[in-house]
Amino acid sequence: MTEFSGLLTLAIFLPIVGAILIALFLNGKNARTLALITTLAELALTSYIFLLYDKEKGGYQLVDKFEGWIPFDTFRVDYFLGIDGLSAPLVLLTGILGIVAVFASWSVSVRMKEHFMWLLVLQGAVIGVFTSLDFFLFFLFWELELIPMFFLISIWGTGRKEYSAMKFIIFTILGSAFLLIGILSLYFSTNTFDMTLLPDKIAGANLIMPASVLFFLTIIGFAIKLPVFPFHTWLPDAHTDAPTAASVMLAGVLLKMGGYGMFRVSASMFPEQIVDYSWLLATLGLINILYGAAITIRQTDLKRLIAYSSVSHMGFVLLGIAAAKGGTAELGMNGAALQMFTHGTITGLLFLTVGFIYEKAHTRYIPDLGGLANRMPFLAAGLLVAGLASLGLPGTSGFVAEITIFMGSFPAWHWFAALAAIGVVLTAGYILWMIQRVMFGPQLLRHNNLSDASIPEMIPVAILVASILVVGIYPAVISDVFNTGLDPIVGEITSYAMGGK
Amino acid sequence: MSIDILTGANAAWLIPALSIIAFPTTVFLGRFLPGKGSFISILAIFLGFILFWFVLFDFLSGNSVPLHVDIDWIHIGFWKITWGFLVDRISIVMLGLITFVALLVQIYSLQYMKGDNRYGWYFSLHAFFAGSMLLVVLADNLLFLYFAWELVGLGSYLLIGFWFDRRSAAEAAKKAFITTRIGDVGLLIGIIILFKATGTFHISSIIHAAQNGGVADSTIFWSSLLIFLGAMGKSGQFPLHVWLPDAMEGPTPVSALIHAATMVAAGVYLAVRMTPLFELVPEVQVTVALVGLITFIFAGVVALVTTDIKRVLAYSTISHLGLMMLSVGTGAVGAALFHLVVHGISKALLFLGAGNIMHATNDATDCWSFGGLKRKMPITTGIFLIGSLSLAGIAPLSGFFSKDEILGSVYQNMGYAFLIITLVGGFISALYMSRIFLITFTGDPRTDFAQNAHESSRIMLLPVVMLAIVAFFLGMVAFPMWDFNGFSAFVEQGYKFHIIPWLAIVSLMVAILGLLTGWVFYYKSLLSHRAMASRFGLFYRGALVGFWVDSIYEFIINRVVLALGRLIAAFDRIVVNDTGIDGSGKSVLLSAFKIRLIQTGKIYSYGTAMAFGVFLAVAVWWVF
Repeated sequence: MTEFSGLLTLAIFLPIVGAILIALFLNGKNARTLALITTLAELALTSYIFLLYDKEKGGYQLVDKFEGWIPFDTFRVDYFLGIDGLSAPLVLLTGILGIVAVFASWSVSVRMKEHFMWLLVLQGAVIGVFTSLDFFLFFLFWELELIPMFFLISIWGTGRKEYSAMKFIIFTILGSAFLLIGILSLYFSTNTFDMTLLPDKIAGANLIMPASVLFFLTIIGFAIKLPVFPFHTWLPDAHTDAPTAASVMLAGVLLKMGGYGMFRVSASMFPEQIVDYSWLLATLGLINILYGAAITIRQTDLKRLIAYSSVSHMGFVLLGIAAAKGGTAELGMNGAALQMFTHGTITGLLFLTVGFIYEKAHTRYIPDLGGLANRMPFLAAGLLVAGLASLGLPGTSGFVAEITIFMGSFPAWHWFAALAAIGVVLTAGYILWMIQRVMFGPQLLRHNNLSDASIPEMIPVAILVASILVVGIYPAVISDVFNTGLDPIVGEITSYAMGGK
Repeated sequence: MSIDILTGANAAWLIPALSIIAFPTTVFLGRFLPGKGSFISILAIFLGFILFWFVLFDFLSGNSVPLHVDIDWIHIGFWKITWGFLVDRISIVMLGLITFVALLVQIYSLQYMKGDNRYGWYFSLHAFFAGSMLLVVLADNLLFLYFAWELVGLGSYLLIGFWFDRRSAAEAAKKAFITTRIGDVGLLIGIIILFKATGTFHISSIIHAAQNGGVADSTIFWSSLLIFLGAMGKSGQFPLHVWLPDAMEGPTPVSALIHAATMVAAGVYLAVRMTPLFELVPEVQVTVALVGLITFIFAGVVALVTTDIKRVLAYSTISHLGLMMLSVGTGAVGAALFHLVVHGISKALLFLGAGNIMHATNDATDCWSFGGLKRKMPITTGIFLIGSLSLAGIAPLSGFFSKDEILGSVYQNMGYAFLIITLVGGFISALYMSRIFLITFTGDPRTDFAQNAHESSRIMLLPVVMLAIVAFFLGMVAFPMWDFNGFSAFVEQGYKFHIIPWLAIVSLMVAILGLLTGWVFYYKSLLSHRAMASRFGLFYRGALVGFWVDSIYEFIINRVVLALGRLIAAFDRIVVNDTGIDGSGKSVLLSAFKIRLIQTGKIYSYGTAMAFGVFLAVAVWWVF
């Protein structure tokens, strides 16, 4: 059976072809221009794909499938792409952040050609992860994304960039090793890599390893990516030392690959385990939230502060998934998915504005900053919107995700959710403290000749602010789609959780 | 939607909508318009005020059924959250207060803020604030209310920090946001507990379910307490009041609107709204009353010794918010709401009066730097006197009537102990009002700028005079007239208007005694306030610093939260990262040196290892 609508294939390979063209023919500013054109086209394409996804119909759509791409009888890999309600918003997110990343690196002057080439490869690989429905293909894209990120951090980064890049690679590969064992074990148990069939097949198959072992093998890779305590230590280093564009992509979409995997693999293929071990997820989620927030309060480097805040915010994703135990799994899971999308735009915006501030003021050390709002009102407004969204202010997308997660997890985990609420207060603390120290207060003399954002800097800020506010004011644009995708997964989980009692 | 949403009381949603639309309009277009777009914001709130009258009359003419309009917001599977508007007696009263005060304050600001380099931004923030505040009182479900509630908090944050290049203003803004957020988190959890118990956010459905025994008592108890925590944060109840005095860093008209008349009243409004729930568990009612009473007395005492005129008014606001909460706790929601309106008008009046003074004296705020202003600023003196007497509770000004109803309810529901303490609070109120008035306006000018003070311009006097007129006559609505049964009966079903004559007389005597005491100390100087201060030295110094509440918070933040943060951060770097991660990396390196010794190149050793491995794998498989 071969189906081909071509849009998703195009979405993956458009940036990759762009990257190849840059590698072969273009230099300097021309490379940048082509990267901009490519990501613009990609944004249009991903938006089109998002709109084309029919949420009334549900299921997998826009399928591209060639059977037997690796055609051995004992090892059959299909080229199989498709989106459902879970992946469609994440594809859109990747489209949005792709163009943001290009604008974010507008002033890169060192080895421009390679920089934009790697950015495009990265975007293509991430879209590949979100659209692959063949487990092997999924794994290929999962690994492919490492290469561009490694170079982006180690060449254009700051500080201990080689150390951080290496750390990032080693952590992810460690997780991938477990993931690969899991994937292969599943294949040898069920004889298929088809992720759409696997949930049903696993239920009836004679597994070569106990299901809970497979569950942990696969989820550990995702947990490292998300990241979950105690596997989070790569994140502050990688985020802090990465160049702005890489930080945006890293926080914006690469972390979401972990969350996405938890839904696509852990929750959908192992519904019983996710319910049985939801106590573990809830515990780790709570640790992430409070531990991350407590560390964030002490940070004096802007980027490190945002990086640790991501650890805290990703804890909410875990807490939402942990709602699997109760009758409100639907709310929790949708909240977790919303949190992934919204954290992508919010943290993207935080890294973006902070990156611009760093470019202008040449420091990210908070005590050296202050009173910048006078010199750069536009960036101040951008940082304020991002900060307020990060602390979950209503009217921004952060609130929607947070409230849905609380609604979902509270019935299942009273005390965990109540304690997690302390994280909300701490978040308000460190965000407002940061904004106050950087933007408010008397303007410092040495900042007298700083200028506000230029037009290429304003565009990405405006794009992200708009997406934060749109989802915040009318979340149904995203939540309806997520809901369609999560419906079957949640159905399985809820029936097990409720029946199991 | 079958009902017409554009006529009569149904059109109430337009009132916030106008201001909300005015916000982006002034932000983006303001700079191209005359007056930086200030008129757009004023026009929006003016139309809102006009609409309020339409809504009121339509409501009175028979549309007395509370109206709902629902809009889908988010829909997750079985769960659905809708936005709805509720127009009932309580929300109509609040609409009137908010639109009226906001309109006057914005007009006042036209002159007061003239020359500020963020003039347009100031008015857009006012539009934003007014819109969110109006949404709070129109929301028919708790989540929507919370939504607007937080936006109100944001408006307040931005307005307190309006002069953000002053470090103190930025600091105060942050403090206000975080302190209220502590309460808000409680509110949110309370809301979610109720959602879990009833499956809805709808206020009337929740109350209906609770009244019919559909919710466990313990659930009601905890959720009510948590919701009240939210109300405490917003309404500056002890011990979450610390942000309110600092909020005076904002422009004075902002203090008048937000930190006296409207936003701080939101907590009282919420408590009034949720009283049917609170009433189901008597312990909650008692807690509310106690917190209110403590706040009433505590803040009053601090106001007695504070010398910054705006901070005196701020502490007085906290104190009166406590009185309102006390009233809610005794079940007298009508009286609470009445006092909310009366206090809102009187306090807005006083703040704008203080604004006039500051405008005339080069932004001085210490009351000892004024003196003798009654000759320089006769109109301001007159209106300040009206505001002071009203708050002191002197008949026939409006404050007397609202306080009287509260006292009646305290007497009937809580007994003598509460009544006596409340009367003491009334005495303190009268005393600090007379103190601040006499120091500021009588005697001789103490400084040059007090000497050179001048009366304000007409555009600043007009709103103040209008407020003064309302503050003077508003007490009338307490009385039944024609088929109107008095304000409290309008709000509170089943309330019968009554006066307890001896209590009214006692309360009036106490208030007059308070004024006289102030007169003795600060006008006639028959007794020395300095001698008093040194006699009660420790108490006096404690009151000056707000009884160390701020220091306690600082201690908790610096010595507990931040210290814990530092500890965990160090743990994360040293234990988790350096030992756990880098350490294992290093041990891999080290062991690699050792392990290469195993690479013997001899087939049989590899074979042994392999056999062992297979055995292990089988064993693992077997065990599981």
